[in-house]
Amino acid sequence: MRKGLFLSLVASMFFMAGVAKADVDPVKATQFVKDVTAQGIEDIINANVSQAEKDKRFAKLFSEALDLDFIGQFVLGRNWKAATDSQKAEFIKTYRELNVKTWSKRFDEFKGKAFIFEDTTPSKSKGQIFVNSVVPMNQQEPAKVVWRVKETDGKYQVVDIIIENVSLAITARNEYSAFIKNNSGGIDALIEDLKNKIKQTDSTAAK
Amino acid sequence: MTKKLPLFFILGLLFAFDVKAVEVTTSDGEKITIDENADYDVHVSNDPWESFNRPMFVFNHTLDVYILKPVAKGYRVVTTQGIRNRVISVLSNLKEPLATVNHLLQGEPVNSVTSLGRFVVNSTLGLAGMFDVAGGWGWRVDKTTFDHTLGKYCVPDGPYLVLPFMGSTTPRALVAKVADGALDPVYLATLDRDDGWIPYGAYAMIGAVAFRESVIELSDDLERNSVDLYTTYRSVYLQNKAKYNCINEDNITDLYDFDFDE
Repeated sequence: MRKGLFLSLVASMFFMAGVAKADVDPVKATQFVKDVTAQGIEDIINANVSQAEKDKRFAKLFSEALDLDFIGQFVLGRNWKAATDSQKAEFIKTYRELNVKTWSKRFDEFKGKAFIFEDTTPSKSKGQIFVNSVVPMNQQEPAKVVWRVKETDGKYQVVDIIIENVSLAITARNEYSAFIKNNSGGIDALIEDLKNKIKQTDSTAAK
Repeated sequence: MTKKLPLFFILGLLFAFDVKAVEVTTSDGEKITIDENADYDVHVSNDPWESFNRPMFVFNHTLDVYILKPVAKGYRVVTTQGIRNRVISVLSNLKEPLATVNHLLQGEPVNSVTSLGRFVVNSTLGLAGMFDVAGGWGWRVDKTTFDHTLGKYCVPDGPYLVLPFMGSTTPRALVAKVADGALDPVYLATLDRDDGWIPYGAYAMIGAVAFRESVIELSDDLERNSVDLYTTYRSVYLQNKAKYNCINEDNITDLYDFDFDE
């Protein structure tokens, strides 16, 4: 009887260990997002370096902190399955480039702003967690920013940013699905359109 | 708009849309049944009226490009950030009575009293709302509207709708907007005057320009990056207001907790 009790105790400990391993550590996930935002503000926005150096640092931080392969696949939705391997690769490459360009331009808007980290919310998806933060706004209610973090073998990456309940991933997915549905050119036309946007961003940045 | 609030009309509309489950055709051409309590797919927008909405969107966007946005830019040129902050603050203060009533309807008496206190203090000590004195005392701004209240009581939102001059809405939001207007102090003050539409119209226009000015960068950014602007605005609008749909703190993540392996 005592042996049985001991065994079940051991078994339950193993079980608990298993459960704990499946969940993302909220403290580590929060620390990861804190580090990314602090790095962005200290090493890029407030750093006394040239704009070219800032852009370079941003591209590196952005590519490391975000899992753009994962996000790219999600935003294509059901069109991902229909795409050929070369279309998939080309789309991810273009999507990555556009995002780096867009966000490095917008990043300065965070100047003087601070993220206040609150708590975390579990996700239904395995290995993922939501890190909740607020950004105090001048004159208005603070903006709610939620970071969706994915953990793979101890490595943390952001897979979505939800600002005031608006998910950037879902918005892009809605937009791209609509584009592909309304264009006979399909995914190739979408990639072409995104490439044009990268060019436009380059030309406005050069001004 | 008539000055006297057609309450029976609003109630009628509410009942008309108070259906428990509706079958809708989504923008993807799929037929899905939407039940306000069901955990429906947030990836597709409820937009069976897209063929009406898209031309309306083009109309509004044209008005924006040629009138509203240039006016908003001009407003930015002739004012300083300090002045614009005071304007936003005054306009924002006039929404406190709306928050007072709706917090009460939502069963939040403390928030209701806070909103009322903010309105009284900021309208007087804060010089007609120019300064947020009450905020300095720790009475934080916490806005809410009739649309939020209706959502809280699980009144379905209905399909996406774009109206000329007004922009993105839904049947529920439209009904709520009329009710919101009835609690506006400027509306109430000008209600009984024959020429009341003049100050009220001016007030509405100032509000539109001040709001447009505050989102110039954001809208420019959306327009620059979007491959389908109509869909982008629809998606952002519906996602943002979905937080009012029959949810509580425990299931708010359902709205954006998409499953990757669908």
